[in-house]
Amino acid sequence: MSHSVIILLAIFVPILWGLGLLVKPEFKNRKTLVAVAGAGLVATAVLSMAVIVSGKMELMLFSLGENMNIFFRVDNVGRMFALIVTIVWVLAGFYAFEYMKHEKEEKRYFGFYMMVFGVLLALTFAGSMVTYYLFYEMMTLLSVPLVLHSKTREAIMGGLKYLFYSLFGAYMVLFGIYFLNKYASTLDFQAGGALDMSAVAGNEGLLLIVAFSMILGFGVKAGMFPLHAWLPTAHPVAPAPASAVMSGIIVKMGVLGMLRVVYFMFGADFLQGTWVQKAWMVLALITVFMGSMLAYREKVLKKRLAYSTVSQISYILFGMALLQPEALTGSLLHVVFHAVIKSTLFMCAGAIIYKTGKTNVLEVKGIGKEMPVTIWCYTFASLALIGIPPASGFISKWYLAIGSLDSEIHVFSWLGPVVLLISALLTAGYLLPITIKGFLPGADYDYDSLKKKEPVKMMVIPLVVLAALAILLGVFPNPLTDFISEIVNSVL
Amino acid sequence: MNIDRLIYIMVFMPMAGALLSYLTGRKSKHGRDVVVRLIAILEFVCSVLLILNMPGAEGSLVTVPGVCGMGLHFTVDGFRAIYGGIAAFMWMMTSVFSEEYFAHYRNRNRYYLFQLITLGATEAIFLSADLYTTFVFFEVMSMASYVWVAQDERKESLRAGATYLAVAVIGGLVMLMGLFLLYHQAGTLQISELYEACQGKNVYVAAGCLFVGFGAKAGAFPLHIWLPKAHPVAPAPASALLSGILTKTGIFGILVISCQILLHDAKWGAFVLVIGVITMFAGAFLAVFSVDFKRTLACSSVSQIGFILVGIGMQGLLAEENALAVRGTFLHMVNHSLFKLVLFMVAGVIFMNVHKLNLNEIRGFGRKKPLLAFIYLMGALGIGGVPLWSGYVSKTLLHESIVEYIHGLEAGTFAAGIFLVEDMKIFEWIFLISGGLTIAYMCKLFVAVFVEKNSDEKVQEAYDAKKNYMNPASTIALSVSAVLFPIMGSLPGMTMNRLADMSQSFMGLAYAGHEVHYFTWTNLKGSVISIAIGVAVYFLIVRTWMMKRQEDGVKVYVNKWSHYLDLEDYIYRPILLKLIPGICGFVCMILDHITDMLAKLLPIAGNVQAGFFDTISDGLIVFLRKTIYKDSPQAMELEEGNEVTHAFGTFLNKLENLLNQTIWRNHPHKKDFEHYFVLKYDAFKENTAMITRSLSYGLLLFSLGLCATLIYLLVAAMS
Repeated sequence: MSHSVIILLAIFVPILWGLGLLVKPEFKNRKTLVAVAGAGLVATAVLSMAVIVSGKMELMLFSLGENMNIFFRVDNVGRMFALIVTIVWVLAGFYAFEYMKHEKEEKRYFGFYMMVFGVLLALTFAGSMVTYYLFYEMMTLLSVPLVLHSKTREAIMGGLKYLFYSLFGAYMVLFGIYFLNKYASTLDFQAGGALDMSAVAGNEGLLLIVAFSMILGFGVKAGMFPLHAWLPTAHPVAPAPASAVMSGIIVKMGVLGMLRVVYFMFGADFLQGTWVQKAWMVLALITVFMGSMLAYREKVLKKRLAYSTVSQISYILFGMALLQPEALTGSLLHVVFHAVIKSTLFMCAGAIIYKTGKTNVLEVKGIGKEMPVTIWCYTFASLALIGIPPASGFISKWYLAIGSLDSEIHVFSWLGPVVLLISALLTAGYLLPITIKGFLPGADYDYDSLKKKEPVKMMVIPLVVLAALAILLGVFPNPLTDFISEIVNSVL
Repeated sequence: MNIDRLIYIMVFMPMAGALLSYLTGRKSKHGRDVVVRLIAILEFVCSVLLILNMPGAEGSLVTVPGVCGMGLHFTVDGFRAIYGGIAAFMWMMTSVFSEEYFAHYRNRNRYYLFQLITLGATEAIFLSADLYTTFVFFEVMSMASYVWVAQDERKESLRAGATYLAVAVIGGLVMLMGLFLLYHQAGTLQISELYEACQGKNVYVAAGCLFVGFGAKAGAFPLHIWLPKAHPVAPAPASALLSGILTKTGIFGILVISCQILLHDAKWGAFVLVIGVITMFAGAFLAVFSVDFKRTLACSSVSQIGFILVGIGMQGLLAEENALAVRGTFLHMVNHSLFKLVLFMVAGVIFMNVHKLNLNEIRGFGRKKPLLAFIYLMGALGIGGVPLWSGYVSKTLLHESIVEYIHGLEAGTFAAGIFLVEDMKIFEWIFLISGGLTIAYMCKLFVAVFVEKNSDEKVQEAYDAKKNYMNPASTIALSVSAVLFPIMGSLPGMTMNRLADMSQSFMGLAYAGHEVHYFTWTNLKGSVISIAIGVAVYFLIVRTWMMKRQEDGVKVYVNKWSHYLDLEDYIYRPILLKLIPGICGFVCMILDHITDMLAKLLPIAGNVQAGFFDTISDGLIVFLRKTIYKDSPQAMELEEGNEVTHAFGTFLNKLENLLNQTIWRNHPHKKDFEHYFVLKYDAFKENTAMITRSLSYGLLLFSLGLCATLIYLLVAAMS
């Protein structure tokens, strides 16, 4: 108990730090703000790493009533998600210290940014459905200010759309929790499922509907068709570092929610071969294709990336829906890879906007000559996302496809890989033209008027670190794969 | 030196060297060129060492554990070592040639960076022991070599580059699907284990997917489209490598399918044969039409790849008896690599001097340049399959394998399978005609460049005046490569047979095969027929139909090939870039907006519905009021006041009257109390009606009722 208090520290230090930033009067100079926020980020990162490293532990905070415990348990899933959250959040934070210079009200941004950090850690360490739900709602509410930061009409409408979609999803989850409370032996997460089979007997049909509703509910945050529409609206209007973490991290909390519901509440056996599984796979595959196709047709870079997120998250969902060990491994690998890759891509888009003001993919001719390091990072991340070996995306897709074929589910077993590959082709089609136009501007390009526009180190270093991760995780995936296999073996 | 270390060096040194050359290049252009050459030469030395160290080490597995999950696996055998060597040789020669060729290019650092990365990847493909490793480096190679095609960034180059990249990516993805299926079915991707693992399993779909992927790189019909587009625009050294080596990585993959997964499978052999025949003929046919030096060579590559595919197909059909096909296939691969090295470098020499490739413009460039003519001729005679040059040997073997199958079918030693004797005879004739077309297009280039004079005399003078058309390094690179062909061709027993002996085990051939006497009449016959066809085509078609006399009397080459026959422009691009994205994009857009539309539609629908029911109920009320609930027709006589007001008013009026007559006589009051009370009463009545009709009154009553209930409950509870 004593050393598990560190979980609380990791969660509440950033929340209070953020709160402090919000209530404190405006800083006189910007450097102080950056220093304070930076110190908060680093402190939180240290605390969260302490939790992650110290391994499995539990902390019972208090109980809202019978069976409704606010309860934290650090397991391998949580450690993995917490690690990604920490890495991406800190790097995007440092990137934002430079980027947010050209936005107003930075104090508000960093205040909420810190608070969401704490809430995210709470989500990854949550040990029960009630805890998860509580912090899930909190995350939604606290992240809305990040979306509508610029307070333009589009930003506010985008923020509201995000809010309403998320709330709708959350209520579907809440609806499910009411039923789970009745039919599960506990609302704490248990690897392999927590259903009380004697209570379930005879009510399977009802519980399947409940499961589907919870999947759809978390599917809102994960951008699964038909409730994905907030993503392409909200991402482009948010400041670039905010879109990076929205796409890289916040949508993953929907994924984590689904993982918890399916593998830790209902259990894979309960859903195996049911209509819920099939419907889930159909929705995921539709989303994969639709997202890529729309990204391919989209001309605004950030919006293109947002559609790409829609598509890529559904790779993860498809892998989870197969309820098959290899596929789940691929799915969790893709959680990590996509978090890294998509944050890189959004931050590159941000760097382009920051230095040149260009938002449209048709305007980026010669951009690679102007900011080579940024576009190299973009290129590496793109190759990883397409799944060109040896970059990381290839490894996760390999596991997903092999898992899909091995599952031997009628039609889906081969349809899945085919859709994934078509989507990979579209991914190449929507990501590579920027690299190509950027580095190969054409023979008539005017080299004399070329100006180097590389952003400062504070922006470039996070990019380089993330892009390097996107490649290296693909070249040396085995430590990660082994860690994930352990998780998979515990739930399947 | 041990095999492991050699293989590591061959694969990873060029990749490290790529970075080194890039960094050097930022400081000094010359230093960079030196680094690039050194690495290429070192690579070649390593590959020779590998061949020398190979005996005894064949098949040993070299593993780099953990990389990309499954680890990388390399191995070496005769085929792999020789092809690794050829790749290194070609890289060395082109690197030597490159310095001069690229002297005036921009972005050379970039070119060399990707050139060396591709070298490492290509070596890795030839040395790979499992298809996983093959695939990993195949993709690296495809991506890196894109930069070659688009290097000079002209509009055509970028477009050709896009085509190349699209074919590479699509091919790569289809191949990946094949790997998924194969791994799922066989449970392994180790090339040496695949034959056992695939026994008794239907792996045709997997094999087909792999074939598409590898075939796209090899340039097999109908995915050959990138070759004629990419080669004319790519720098010549890059074209030589693309055509000579990169296409062979595709062939390597196809050999893995045909000689490991589906060894001696007649159905598969028949499939590859048909693709091969089409590719062979289509390439040669296109090449005859071409009026661009490099485009001709590119189409020629397609055609030669077709010859190789024919050989692979014949291996499958001949099954156990396939020695001729196996050896022919391999030797033709080697020959074609080297021919294209020489021929594209000749094209490079022409291009770097005059920056043109159109036959009418470069016409006469080669006059009075005997060395260049000699080098070109060696390549041309070789590729044309003229006896005493190396191409003759491999083509003869391939031709004889077809003849052997025909004889076998006639004699009944081969069960009549998919093809009958007649079909095979047709294939044989197409083979010979394609060989003839090869002679024809090589003649066309030779006559245009080296024999005829340019139509513009000034240009011709300028061409004749060019004596220093290549520097000594390039001269050596070209000449050394060119003299190989007559040596190999006149001494096949010492050179080519040995190469074939070393490599044949890779293709599942264990025995040595019977000695072939290349220079007997039966074997020479095929070549003679081809040459005759070639000469006839050249004089009857190329010199007449494909040339036009201009007004000034000069005959020029015209492109008779209709641009409407371009597969890429009129089928692939419209379908892939317009039709499919158009349709799917539209459907997806609807899907994308479906939720938002619903969200917007619901309130509207609600309004419409409410409005609809409103109208209906209002209409009903009006209707009823006008029918059964009609107001009574007689006008109601409105009653004013009631008895009380009336009586009270009358009383007060009388009292007033009385008082007026008595007390108020001087100031009589004139007020009608009866009327006054009626007004008061009406106002009261109206207010009451207002109150009773109002909501607050309802609530008041409701709360009163509640209070009453409460009181009742209290009372009831107390009692």
